[in-house]
Amino acid sequence: MKFMVLVKADANTEAGVMPSEQLLAEMGKFNESLVKAGVLLAGEGLHPSSKGARIRYNGSQRTVIDGPFAETKELVAGFWLIQVKSRDEAIEWLKRAPFDGGAEIEIRQVFAPEDFGPALTPELRANEERLRAQAAAQQQ
Amino acid sequence: MRFMIIRKADAETEAETGPAGPEHAQLLKDMMAYNQAMQDAGILRGGQGLKPSAAGARVQFRNGKPTVTDGPFAEAKELIAGFTLIEVQSKEEALEWVRRWPASDGHGNVSLELRQLYELEDFEGVAGPELKELEQQMHASADVPR
Repeated sequence: MKFMVLVKADANTEAGVMPSEQLLAEMGKFNESLVKAGVLLAGEGLHPSSKGARIRYNGSQRTVIDGPFAETKELVAGFWLIQVKSRDEAIEWLKRAPFDGGAEIEIRQVFAPEDFGPALTPELRANEERLRAQAAAQQQ
Repeated sequence: MRFMIIRKADAETEAETGPAGPEHAQLLKDMMAYNQAMQDAGILRGGQGLKPSAAGARVQFRNGKPTVTDGPFAEAKELIAGFTLIEVQSKEEALEWVRRWPASDGHGNVSLELRQLYELEDFEGVAGPELKELEQQMHASADVPR
């Protein structure tokens, strides 16, 4: 099963403070262990919300609100996508991540095609799989 | 430049029923057509939908010690229900795509957040060459379809 690990924002990530070389090295080591175990599917870091925007939809109306956004601890600063056998395994991996100082991450299970039932017709499912393969190929 | 489109959670995405009901057939079709349009434009890089937070957990780190809290988490509108990754020329171009998000999602009432991704160049001066090499190797081995 796949899990998304969300790294919550804090004052530093929202100020665009880059991590120290030591933290980058520790994070690199952690990532390397995920890769070696065949667990890591993807991972990215996000710029501060000041470079982002929010869009709210009401009927045909689209309202764009430019960042920054105030509620720092509700924001996301980065994520990993991992593939493991169970939620416990996901938690065990993340306990080893080089965080401290009250940092919080959130682990969330990713929907698999089976979860959509008959609404995901064989045709839609084939289309979805083709799109995923194409998008992944362009990521290179 | 790459952007992450974050789909905020709501009462429906946090409900235990999941997306298997027939009422989701139209949404699935619309979402697929939207993803296809992004793919045809050559900008789609990935995306996933998240199960309700009841299937998840939070881990907080203090003094190097992790504390685990099981879901569900109460603040539905602060939670995330899914994301799409795109690569475009500007934030404006990203916003143009986001404005076209399918109206059948959330019965026309949805909140999205657009966020720019860090690239290797952003770590210039912090990361040594060996870290960059490691990062590149990681991406090469991790970004494969499964």
